[in-house]
Amino acid sequence: MTTEGKPVPGKSDVRRLSEQLGEGEAALNARLAALSTYRARDLPSRVDHLWRYTNPVHLLPGDSLLSNLSLPDTTTTSLPTDEPAVLLVPGRAPLLNKAAEALGLTIAPLFSDDMDAEALGVTTPSEAGLFASLNAVAWNTGLSVRVPRNLRTDLPLRLLIPAVAESCLPRVLVDVAEGADVTVVEEHFGGKEGHRVIGTTGILVGQGARAKHVVVERWQEGVNGWLSVQSRVERDGSYQLACATVGGSRVKLELGADLAGQGARSEMAGVVLGGDNQFLDHHTRHRHLCGHTWSNIDFKVALTGRARSSYTGLIRIEEDAPGSEALQENRNLLLSDTARADSVPELEILTDDVSCSHGATAAPIDPQQVFYLQSRGIARDEAVRLVVQGFLESTLDMVPTAVRADLDRVVVERLAQLGESP
Amino acid sequence: MSSTRNIADLNQDYRDRYGFADPEEFLLKAPKGLSHEVVEMISRYKNEPEWMNAYRHEALDIFLAKPMPRWGDSEALDSIDFEDIHYYLKSSEGAANNWDDVPENIKNTFDRLGIPEAEQKFLAGVTAQYESEVVYHSIDEDLKKQGVLFTDMDTALREHPDLVRKYWATVIPSRDNKFSALNSAVWSGGSFIYVPPHTKVEIPLQAYFRINAENMGQFERTLIIVDEGASVHYIEGCTAPVYSTNSLHSAVVELVALKGAKIRYTTIQNWSNNIYNLVTKRAHAHEDAVIEWVDGNIGSKLTMKYPAVVLLGERAHGEVLSIAYAGDDQHQDAGAKMIHAAPNTTSRIISKSISKNNGRSSYRGLVKVNRGCHGCRTNVECDALLMGDQARSDTYPTMEIGENDVRVEHEARVSKLADEQIFYLQSRGIDPDQARLMIVNGFIEPFVRELPMEYAVELNRLIELEMEGSVG
Repeated sequence: MTTEGKPVPGKSDVRRLSEQLGEGEAALNARLAALSTYRARDLPSRVDHLWRYTNPVHLLPGDSLLSNLSLPDTTTTSLPTDEPAVLLVPGRAPLLNKAAEALGLTIAPLFSDDMDAEALGVTTPSEAGLFASLNAVAWNTGLSVRVPRNLRTDLPLRLLIPAVAESCLPRVLVDVAEGADVTVVEEHFGGKEGHRVIGTTGILVGQGARAKHVVVERWQEGVNGWLSVQSRVERDGSYQLACATVGGSRVKLELGADLAGQGARSEMAGVVLGGDNQFLDHHTRHRHLCGHTWSNIDFKVALTGRARSSYTGLIRIEEDAPGSEALQENRNLLLSDTARADSVPELEILTDDVSCSHGATAAPIDPQQVFYLQSRGIARDEAVRLVVQGFLESTLDMVPTAVRADLDRVVVERLAQLGESP
Repeated sequence: MSSTRNIADLNQDYRDRYGFADPEEFLLKAPKGLSHEVVEMISRYKNEPEWMNAYRHEALDIFLAKPMPRWGDSEALDSIDFEDIHYYLKSSEGAANNWDDVPENIKNTFDRLGIPEAEQKFLAGVTAQYESEVVYHSIDEDLKKQGVLFTDMDTALREHPDLVRKYWATVIPSRDNKFSALNSAVWSGGSFIYVPPHTKVEIPLQAYFRINAENMGQFERTLIIVDEGASVHYIEGCTAPVYSTNSLHSAVVELVALKGAKIRYTTIQNWSNNIYNLVTKRAHAHEDAVIEWVDGNIGSKLTMKYPAVVLLGERAHGEVLSIAYAGDDQHQDAGAKMIHAAPNTTSRIISKSISKNNGRSSYRGLVKVNRGCHGCRTNVECDALLMGDQARSDTYPTMEIGENDVRVEHEARVSKLADEQIFYLQSRGIDPDQARLMIVNGFIEPFVRELPMEYAVELNRLIELEMEGSVG
């Protein structure tokens, strides 16, 4: 059932889903609690700037929300054998390969123990918004990754999350214990016209721990989705997020980090490549809850065709967070005269002992640079691609080296596609 | 359109129903609160043409229908009791009736600013007129010779009805926002200026040169039209605190700069700290026109003000230069808007804010480039200075870019009064208070240098007063 575009599942629907996934009591109770929060919520207000540019109705799943979980086997994406990877498909238990098992992490279905409920509450509280609470009610594939104390892994762990079902609601929790060091690559891909994804990822970075996180979104055309990535960084912890958004038709990503202990650091690098009629909406939020914390955001957007990007970014420094430093930069490169970019970089500073700055720009490609490359015998299309790659380069440089190559590949592929369309 | 019919009925039987023969008498007894009756009274009292009367009533309906804005300082906005406000006051009311009623701190500020007593009384509203007749007359003669019209809005509506009607609400329609609707319903006073083609008005025109009383109203309405190739500099407000017992000020200011015209509008607002200052200011810049808003906000409890320029013609240029000073319990929510609606237009916004103790200053702005407006350039710079660990600064800029051949730049910095700068000055034998003041003066200097000399001097002195005893 839906009302005004908002799907409203009943309690029995939620029970059935929980049964299907073979969940215990704790998981079901968490879902039912989220259901009452979700029901009480209205659609996000379009007056509020976070939703001014995107109509939430376009992102919400319809009646398929709680049905259609028995997918044919052909939808299974094969797992790579040489690198640690986990496959997340709606309605099934996460599938691990041998390399993933060998990492020494505890990788299990979400809510296989009760601690997950508490940990998820920290990173993605169901009160966070309509979409977050919907995910808490109806997630249909869930994973928890626990990194034990002081464990350092060299190989990145890949989470493969194909948009195979009409409604995909992945829910991921990564808990990095004190002093540990881990790299997680989250890949959202596949799907077809009409598919909807509502996904949340929560990351807890313990004292002195380090988490490197890569999010790649390269859905097929026609897929609409909302993804939330929220982290909480404790004392002397460090969180690094690299995010590349290239696919899907209407996409909204909310990326947030709370700096909760002294010396905590968060760094975000975002690359957005849009073409055709894509509408890519991003929100970043850095909250400094504690003093002597540091954050940096570098967000680059390149658009062609009739693509449109909206970027809203908030830096908030709370009253008890003196000695904080926060930086934010958003650059937009407009490659066609029908592309459109909105940028709203915001600051909320509640104490005086801070150093804070942000900048935003929008400009066309520099014709001189293209001309120079052409004069060296490079075709115009190729020259434009090179200039765009150069524009994105400094942001991509922030990405951990272990996954840099993958991200470069995604960017080059997308650039090649964009070159082909008129 | 039943509401329109109701208004018409109201107009027809008004005299019978309420039967006041002497509207002035009636007004003196007018109750607080907002209704079609009050609007009708104001309009009748001013003996306005029918179109203005209808316009006011329609605006009131819009005001009542529109919800309160949910952004900015909603909490403060919600605390305004619209039923507890006089919507029309003769100028002798609203302000203190007696010099003894004027709060001591305001009198002290007057003294410290070195304002003569006659002017002090005027600013406090004790006397309705500032005795500057001699000065005014000579200026008036010059202006008349040039064909410049400079009167208060009520007189303009009487004496130049066609000109007023042609431009009225063309820049800010009543349904623009809740407070423009309120102003449209109950406006009173404000300035009207018309500058004929190719006329340069050499001296800045100031609101308090006008001999008429109603220049400091709560709901003033200003309309400035500068014809092709002409220019004018208008100055409103003053650095001295303006005291009023009424707590809501909601003005509408419309500027129209025709082809090649130039308008500079300088405001320094220093309302006393009980006032909500909710103002809509917008300008239309036609081909090759230049609009400059120089906007200083020092007083008030809450200010929400975002001077805007709509760049309608090719090569038009808009500029906003503003400072906001938020002291104890003050919230300055100020900013600027630039709408690029024609190719090759340029704009620049420089915003400086200072938050002291638990003051809060916010920059809220919009830069919009419409599709097809190629060759536009815009630059936004926001600087915030924080003094005290309870101080708050927000920056909420919005950029909407629908065209690729443009250059849009935005930059913001927030920092506290730097210890090392104070230390350096101290090492040169300057005491810490003086050092702080020097740094703040340096911070606002780009703004101050755009002011006429006497304003610059007063503003510097005012900042000095505000800074007194501040522990950085």
